[in-house]
Amino acid sequence: MTILAFLFVLKIWTVPETVVLDGARAGQQFLAMAEYADGTQGDVTGEVVWSVSNGALATISGGGRVAALGDGAVTVVAELGGVKGRSTVRMMGVKEERPFAFGRDIGSILTKRGCNGSACHGGVKGRGGLKLSANGLHPADDFEWITKGGTYQVLTAEVAGERVPRIDVRDPEKSLLLQKPLGLVAHGGGKRLEGDSEDYRTILAWVKRGAPYGKDGETARLAGLEIYPAMATMGVAGSQRLLVTGRYTDGRREDFTNQVLFSSNNGEVATVTPEGMVKGKALGETAILIRAAGQVASVGVGVIGVPVKNYPVVGRGNFVDEAVFAKLKRFNLVPSELAGDGEFLRRVCLDLTGTLPPPERVREFVGSKDAKKRERVVDALIGSPEFVDFWTFRFADVFRVAIFANGLTPKFSQKYWEWIRENVAGNRRYDEVARERLSAQGYGAASRHFLPYNQIGPPADVMAEEVRVFFGRRLDCAQCHNHPYENWSQDQFWGMAAFFGRLFKAGPVVFDHPTNMDWSSKDVDGKIELVHPRTKVVVKPVLLDASPLVVRGDGNPRQELARWMTSHPYFAEATVNRVWGYFFGRGIVDPVDDFRSTNPATHPELLAGLARDFERNGYNLQRLMKTIVMSRTYQLAHETNGTNRADVTNYSHSLSRALEAEVMLDAVVAVTGVAETFTTAVSEGGAVGQAPAHTRAINLKDPDMYFSRFLELYGRPNRGAIPERSGKPSLGQALHMLAGATYVDRLSASGSRLRGLLERGATDAVIFEEFYLAALGRGPDAEETAELGKLVAGRGDREAGLREFVWALISSREFVENH
Amino acid sequence: MRWLILIFLFDFCLLGADPRAISVQPFVGQRGMTFTATVRGSNLKGARAVVVDGEGVRMVVEGEGKESSPARDTVKIRVETGAETKAGRYSFRMVTASGVSNSLVLGIAESVVLAEPEGLHETAETAVAVVGAPVIYAGLIGKKGETDLYSFQAKAGETLTFQVRSGLPSLGAAGGNANGFDPAISIFEESGSWFDAKRLNRVAFNDEPLWVLGRLTDAYLVHTFAKAGRYFLRLEAFSGQGGPDYGYQLQILPGTVEQEREAGRTDWEERTYQRPLTANRLNELAARGGRAEKEKVIETYRAMGTVGFPATIEGTIGRPGESQRSTFQVDGPQDIAIEVETPDGAPPVFNPVVRLLDGAGAEVVTNVFAGRGACTGAMNKGLTAKVIYPLRNPGQYTVEVRDLTADLGEAGFRYRVQVRPQVGHVGKVSIDEDHLNLAPGGAKTVRVKFDREEDFRGAVAVMVENLPEGVVALAAADYEPDTDPPPFLGKRERYVARTERTVIAFSVAEGAGLTEVPQLVRVLLRPVVDGRPGKVIASKQIPMMVVAQP
Repeated sequence: MTILAFLFVLKIWTVPETVVLDGARAGQQFLAMAEYADGTQGDVTGEVVWSVSNGALATISGGGRVAALGDGAVTVVAELGGVKGRSTVRMMGVKEERPFAFGRDIGSILTKRGCNGSACHGGVKGRGGLKLSANGLHPADDFEWITKGGTYQVLTAEVAGERVPRIDVRDPEKSLLLQKPLGLVAHGGGKRLEGDSEDYRTILAWVKRGAPYGKDGETARLAGLEIYPAMATMGVAGSQRLLVTGRYTDGRREDFTNQVLFSSNNGEVATVTPEGMVKGKALGETAILIRAAGQVASVGVGVIGVPVKNYPVVGRGNFVDEAVFAKLKRFNLVPSELAGDGEFLRRVCLDLTGTLPPPERVREFVGSKDAKKRERVVDALIGSPEFVDFWTFRFADVFRVAIFANGLTPKFSQKYWEWIRENVAGNRRYDEVARERLSAQGYGAASRHFLPYNQIGPPADVMAEEVRVFFGRRLDCAQCHNHPYENWSQDQFWGMAAFFGRLFKAGPVVFDHPTNMDWSSKDVDGKIELVHPRTKVVVKPVLLDASPLVVRGDGNPRQELARWMTSHPYFAEATVNRVWGYFFGRGIVDPVDDFRSTNPATHPELLAGLARDFERNGYNLQRLMKTIVMSRTYQLAHETNGTNRADVTNYSHSLSRALEAEVMLDAVVAVTGVAETFTTAVSEGGAVGQAPAHTRAINLKDPDMYFSRFLELYGRPNRGAIPERSGKPSLGQALHMLAGATYVDRLSASGSRLRGLLERGATDAVIFEEFYLAALGRGPDAEETAELGKLVAGRGDREAGLREFVWALISSREFVENH
Repeated sequence: MRWLILIFLFDFCLLGADPRAISVQPFVGQRGMTFTATVRGSNLKGARAVVVDGEGVRMVVEGEGKESSPARDTVKIRVETGAETKAGRYSFRMVTASGVSNSLVLGIAESVVLAEPEGLHETAETAVAVVGAPVIYAGLIGKKGETDLYSFQAKAGETLTFQVRSGLPSLGAAGGNANGFDPAISIFEESGSWFDAKRLNRVAFNDEPLWVLGRLTDAYLVHTFAKAGRYFLRLEAFSGQGGPDYGYQLQILPGTVEQEREAGRTDWEERTYQRPLTANRLNELAARGGRAEKEKVIETYRAMGTVGFPATIEGTIGRPGESQRSTFQVDGPQDIAIEVETPDGAPPVFNPVVRLLDGAGAEVVTNVFAGRGACTGAMNKGLTAKVIYPLRNPGQYTVEVRDLTADLGEAGFRYRVQVRPQVGHVGKVSIDEDHLNLAPGGAKTVRVKFDREEDFRGAVAVMVENLPEGVVALAAADYEPDTDPPPFLGKRERYVARTERTVIAFSVAEGAGLTEVPQLVRVLLRPVVDGRPGKVIASKQIPMMVVAQP
C-alpha cells in the first residue's frame, strides 16, 4: 500500500478481535487491516503503531506480536493516521509451564522446518534412512524412529537395519537430529536449523531431558487450522500477512503462525515468507499452503489489477451470484453482460439436455416478450424426456455403466443403467441413490457395479471409487502409505476399505459374508478378513473420522458406511461441486473429485452455500440445477470485457466448453437430419446387433458394446475408471472432419435436412438461416449471409456449395463448443 | 484305436449331412385355420414330410422356399388345424432325404392370430394398429437393429398383459450370454417434448424380469395405463440382433395374466430348487434305487420348533436378516441328506443358506459349496439345493435357514427343507441324442449319463426297444479323455453327485432297408440291485431313420 493511501484510510481493525493466552510463553500475532476510501482493503500490520493498555501484563512488538507477562486483560491498539483498531487479550496461567508433548513441541518444528514434508523424510519411504510421518501426522511413530532408529519399510511393519537412535542423550549436541539440520554432518536436505534459533534450543533441551514423549494422547489434539484472511487479495507488489490459528479438540485456540510451514502453489503469482507474509508478483490466483503438525490448510490468494472506476451495479439472480459477484468485485473484474436469448437457449439446452434447440424453438424463444421466458424454458427442460436421457448418460458415466464393469454381461449393465434412469426420471433424493448404491446387496441393479469382470472388486479399489464419487476425495495414495499431501493415513484407508472387505458373490448375488459364521469356509481353509498390507493385522471397518460404529457380524457394514457418508458434509459439497462443474466446465474445486486442502475451492462460500441449499432441500438434483442455471452467473455472455478477458476461474463470463463426444455426434445428427447407425462390437449372443434406428449416442445403454470411430476420436471414455473427459482436440478429429463418414456421408444422404430443404425449393438464405439456427442457435448476420452467398455461387454447383457450407458449419468451433 | 477313429470320421460325415431345422415362421397359428409356414435350416433339401407330435394338427410339405444364404434351406409347409384342435404347442420334425431333423415347436392358439404386415414398422406412422385384445401377432425382426412398433388404444386404468415368445428360444446362460433371440418390449406414449412434439416417451419396459441361468428370456410385461390414449408397444431383440430366424409371437391380453411358462420338465430333477420335496420322497428315492417302496412318510413341520427325523421344515424368511432355527434329534450315527425347495423363487431371488449346527451351536455342514478359483486360488462359494453328510454323533441338531444377504427378506422367501436319511438312488439321467439318422452298414453311438446319488452302489441297466429292422443296439465304450480331479473344490462329494456314463452303439446291417418315416426308438434305464432289476426310472424316445448315405 502506498503512503498516499494512508490519507484515505476509513477504518482500521485488528485480528483477532479477542484472544485468550493460556500458559507460560503464550503469545499472539495480531494483524491490522485497513479499509480505504475506494472500498479496497489491505494489510497494514507493518505500518501501524502497536501498543497495549497495560505494559505490566503484556508486551507487543513492532510487528504486532503480543507476549504475556502476567494474568489479566489488556487492550491491543493499532493506530494509523489517527485511525485506531482494538482487540482484547486475556492472559491466564502465565506462570504455568504447559506439559511437554512431542507431537506439538517437536513435531511442529519438524513440520515448520520442512523435515517431514513429502519430498523429504515425510515421503513414502522417508529419506536417508529416517522416516517421519508426513506433516507429523503420527507423532508416536516419529518418536520411535527418532529415539530408536532403524529403517522404515513400506510393505511391512518390521524395522530394517540396525536401530541407531537419532538422538544422543549422553551427548545431546552430538544428536544426528541436530547435527544434520545444522549442516555439521552431511545432510541431503541442506541446512535447516540455525544454532542460535529457538527451535534448536527446544530440541536440545528435549534431548537433554532424556527425550520424553510427553503428553500426546492425554491432552487435546489439534483439530484444524483457521487462516485469516480466508481469501487474500492484493495488487502486484502488494502484501498480506497470514494469521494461523490452531483449533484444539477441547475448544482451545492457539496462535500457530510461527509454528507452521508456508508455501505457495504458484510462486510466479505470489510468494510467501517463512513468517507468512504473502507478496503479490503477477496478476492471477493461487493458493498458499500451510502445514502444521498433523494438519494442512490452504488459503486462496488473488493478485488483482487496478480498481475499476465506477464499478457497475450488477443484478443478482439468486444466492449463487452473491458469492461470485462479491469475489469479482474484490478482484476488480466486471462480469460480462447477460447472454442474449439465442446464446442462453443453446447453452441451457445443451447443459440440461445435451440437445440442440430446434430452429422453430429458437425463433419462438428469441421472439418472445415474456419477461419470465428463461425460467419457463428451464422449467420445461428440467425433467423433460431429453433431460432424463442426458442425465442418465452423465450418471452412467460417473457410475460407470459398462459391460466389463458390471458383471461382463449386457443384462447386468443395462439393468444398472435402467436403475440410474429410473432415479433420474423420478428425481430421487440423491442421498437415497447414494445409500442404495453404497450398500446394495442381492441381485438388484444397484449391486451390479460391484462386479467388474464378474468378480467382486478389491475392497481398496471399491472403497476408493465410492469415496471419489460421493465424497469427491481421492484416498488412493493412502492405500500403500500415508497420503503424502493430505491427512489421510494408511490405517484410515484400510479402515474404510474394510467396509467392503466382506463383499462376496455367489453366482450373480452380491452379499456381505458374515464374520460370525463359517459358511463352509473351513472346507477350503478360507477366511473372511481383510489384512492391512503393511502391519498384517486384520482390519475392522472404521469410518474416516473414527466415529463410533456398531456392525453386526451377520449384518451389512456398508449400511452404516452409507448412512455416515450421506450425512457427512463432504457428500453435499462433493455433489454440488460435481454438478456445478457440468454447467461451467470446471468445479469450484477442480478437478471435481479432487478435494484436498492443497487444492482449495475458488469460491468457498459459494460451495458452502450450494451444499447447504442442496442438503436443506432434500438433496434434490433438479432443484440444484435450476438454482445454478437461473443464476445470473450462469447466464452471463461468452463475450468478455476489458477486465475479464483472462479470467478462467471466477465465472465472470461464460467459458467455451467442448461438447462431449456423444452430445456432439447427436448434434451433428440433429443438424444434418441423418441418423447414426450403432453396431455392437459385442452382442448378447453370437450375432452382432445394432441399436434401433434413431438411437442417440447419449442413449446407448452400454456404450462399450457399440463401436464408433467418431466417439473414440472425440474422447468417449471406456469407463474403465471414473471418466475424465478432456475435450482437447486431436489430429484424428481433424482428419475425421475432413474425410470421416460422420461428416462426409451425411451431407448428401437421402432424408437429410439439406436435401429436404432443396426438395422444398428453399432459397440459399432460407437454408443458411435454417442451418444456423439448428447448429448455432442463432441466425446468420448480414455479413455472414453475404459471404455464404458468394461461396455457394462461386462453387458453380449449388448443391455442392451448400454441402460445403453445412460441412463448414458443423466443423466450426462455434458449433463444437458450448459457450 | 483304429476303430474309434473310424467311428469318429463316420460320425463327422453324418453330422455334416444331418438335417437341422432352425426356425419356423410363423410359429403360431389360429385354431381352425390353415396357413403356410416356412421352415428354415440346413440340409433340408428333399423334405417330403413333417412328423407332428400330437393330434389335430397336420403339416404338409408344399415345396422349397427362396433362400438367399447358400448355407440355408427353406421349406414351405402347409399347416392344417381343425376347429377341435387343442390349443397348445406342437413339436414337429422334418423328414428329408437325409433323414429326420431335430424338432421345432409350433403353437396353436384359440385367439385371433394375425401376421405382422409386410414392411417396416418402426415409426408411429408405420406402426401396426392392434385390432384389440386378446390377440396374437406373429412377426419377425428381419434385420439387425429393427424394431416393430404396435399401436393401440388404452383406457384410463386399463391393464393389459404383453407377452412375447421367441422363435429362437434363448436361455439364460453362464456368463450372461445366451444364443437365440431374446425379445425385449417397451411401451411408449405420444406425449412429445419441448424439442419434439411427436416424441414417443417410454412409460414401461421389460425384457425379462431376471436373467436366470436356464430360464427362458422371453418378454413379459403387465401395465396399467394411468390415462386414456394411444400407446405404442415396441418390440426388438435385446442388443439389436435380427434376421430371418428372428420370429416372434406377441400376445396382448386384457387384464393381468400370468406369464406362460415353458412346460414343466417331466424327467427327474434332483438338485433344482423348485422340485417338489414330497412326503413320499423316501419311497420315490427308494424306487430310483431299485428297492422296495417301504419307507415311511416324511412329516411336515413349521419352522422354529422341534421337529422329527426325517422332517420337512416349512418357513418363510419374511424380514431382512431373519434366521429361523428348528431342532431335531438323531439317536445314532446317521448319513443324512438335507434338501432345499424354494416354491416361490429360487436363486438369485431368494438365496437360502441352510446350516446344520450341533448341540454346541457349531456349524456341522451347510448348503454353501466352498471352493477355490483355479487361477487365483481365491475362495468362492455357491449355494446348492442339496447336501449330504455323515452324522457320526447322536444328539440334538439344529437346522438354521436364512437368506444369503442381510438386507433381503419378504413373503416370497418361502422354503421347504427336508432333513432325512440318505437313500442310495439314481439321480439325474441324460441321453444326449435328439434323433438318429443311420446309413446301412453304419453305426452311431449314444451316451447315457446318470448320477449316483447318496452312495448308490447298484448297477444300471440300459435297454433299447422298437428298433427298425436291421438295426441293433450294442453295449459299447468310447474314449473319454482323462481329466484331472478338481483340486480346488472343497468338500465336493457333499454337493455334487458322482456322474457315470454308458454308451450304446446303434449298428445297421449292410443290407438293411431304408425307412420312409422315423421310428421312435425307446431307451430305458432301470437300476439293478441285489440281482433284481428295479422299475424303469428314465426313458427317452429317439426318432430314428435308416437313410441312404448322402
